[in-house]
Amino acid sequence: MRLIPDSVRMALQAPMRNPGRSALTALGLAIGVSAFIAMVSFGRGARGSVVSQFETLGSNMLRIKKQTAAGEVQALPLTHADSDALIHESTTLSAVVPRIDRMFDISYQGRHARTVVRATTPDFTKVRDEKISRGGSFYERDERERAKVCILGATPAQTLFPTGSDPLGAVVTIGGTLPCRVIGVFAQQGAAISGSDLDDRVVMPLSTFENALGAVDGFFSIEVRPRQPDQHWAASQEIHRILRRVRHVREGAGDNYRIESPDEVTKVAEQIGGILTGLLAGIAGVSLLVGGIGIMNIQLMSVAERTHEIGVRAALGASPDQILRQFLAEALALACIGVGAGVGVGVAVSELVGRQMGWAHATQPDVVIFSAAFGVVVGTVFGYIPAKRAADLDPIEALRRE
Amino acid sequence: MAIAEIEIQKMVKEYGAGDNRVPVLRGVDVTIPRGEIVALMGPSGSGKSTLLNILGCLDRPTRGKYLLGGRDVSKLTRGEQAWVRLHYLGFIFQSFHLLGDSTVLENVSVPLFYAGVSREEREARAMKYIERVGLKERITHRPSELSGGQRQRVAIARALVNQPKVLLADEPTGALDTPTGIEVLNLLKELHQETGLTMVLVTHDQDVADVAHRTIYMRDGHVVDREVAHASHP
Repeated sequence: MRLIPDSVRMALQAPMRNPGRSALTALGLAIGVSAFIAMVSFGRGARGSVVSQFETLGSNMLRIKKQTAAGEVQALPLTHADSDALIHESTTLSAVVPRIDRMFDISYQGRHARTVVRATTPDFTKVRDEKISRGGSFYERDERERAKVCILGATPAQTLFPTGSDPLGAVVTIGGTLPCRVIGVFAQQGAAISGSDLDDRVVMPLSTFENALGAVDGFFSIEVRPRQPDQHWAASQEIHRILRRVRHVREGAGDNYRIESPDEVTKVAEQIGGILTGLLAGIAGVSLLVGGIGIMNIQLMSVAERTHEIGVRAALGASPDQILRQFLAEALALACIGVGAGVGVGVAVSELVGRQMGWAHATQPDVVIFSAAFGVVVGTVFGYIPAKRAADLDPIEALRRE
Repeated sequence: MAIAEIEIQKMVKEYGAGDNRVPVLRGVDVTIPRGEIVALMGPSGSGKSTLLNILGCLDRPTRGKYLLGGRDVSKLTRGEQAWVRLHYLGFIFQSFHLLGDSTVLENVSVPLFYAGVSREEREARAMKYIERVGLKERITHRPSELSGGQRQRVAIARALVNQPKVLLADEPTGALDTPTGIEVLNLLKELHQETGLTMVLVTHDQDVADVAHRTIYMRDGHVVDREVAHASHP
């Protein structure tokens, strides 16, 4: 007992007299603090995963999509004419990768999966950070020869080969007509923040797809990789020059395509994530304030109940300052208990959720420190009002109140 | 002639303001030499409680001077008043005013806590006074486990633990039966002999007044002589 300083012991004495009530009071702040930590961690984790998803696109890439030009009814599809022109004429691009995405049924020995079939050229691994965990990719020769091969995403692989049997070498049927040999399986990527499954796809050579299944509406996109990471602007200029000519855009008319850069997408994602974090933090901040008001309420009640005690202490020579400090210390003690519990719960919750969602560094120390400090400050600020009321009590009046 | 411990000059105390002013003390002069025991008597409403509150630095006079130990204390701030109460004055009350949730030892230690005395020192000093009032076996008891007389002894120990110069008692035997009251008075008398402190005892009780060297009678906010005071108690 002697290890605990007097002031701390005094501050804990009154709250300990009514442990249930004190616990409930501290609970308000605990909820506020834990909500704050969890909310901000979620917000940041979500933002981080949004950003990292865009980063897996490969930060050094541009994406060309068709776009309905002003005055036109339908967008001009992206075709081989466009991609070939880029491949042959450009000097700033190291890879040009057209891509078609379409939903198909895939079956293997009576099992079916409905998934996105992505038809693309062998260079797709150059613009995207694609990891094949087993087997390999396809090559120029496969593209030339319209090889009936495909690479499975983890989800269709699991659906079609649930028993752990080896998908490599198996022949799956795409769209009911096209048999393809599985030559690789992608490494698992997890869920996108939107909830879509990044592993739910099959990749195959573009020529094979066009030949067997048909390219009705051109490419979904053409992804390109500038030779140098800092050449985005020069690359864009060159793409504009080539595509405006190939796609017959008249002088002064608007583009019938657009160039997206992941930098911009990442920026927007960052912004959205920031807004999300701010919003969650705001809500949690309000609950912190409510926790502070809870402390104020309980301390006001405590002052009212202990008016006589305050009168006795004052009569015996406790100065208004000492009484103020005593009640402030009690509020602070309650706040610290609440904050302590809140930090524990908040960190536990965000770690747990972070682990589930696969976020790195779910809880950051700055959030914990900030919320703890904020909680203590809130408790003290709201504790001041009752403490001041206690200090201002007239000892004679207070003594009369039993 | 002993030094005046307490000197009250032309003291007026009014409550309220403007037309609603109610005078409670209407020009009181009292001088109490150091070491004297004074009984303060008078009917209710005579102003003796108000005077005691002012003597105890719990209240301030509207006009007039209050010299305590030669120092004017009539215009102190609340903080300064608290300092005087802590270091110079001791209080005992009719209803004891002990802290119900605290033990005897803790109750007696309270003034030492506010005086900034370390815990070891507090306990040692408090023990000394608890022993002196004969409650050594009761230090861990709470007030509700004590008799009225024992509670008043705790209050006396608490009043003296900071070694005050003046002890102010408001009906110290008012809540006690006669034999217990007499025990408490005897204890006060003994303590007076040991410490030589000045005592002001507000009372209705002739037994208390008999302990005093002198009795001051009050009526309608004035100090009066005995006959006038008794005119109100036919």
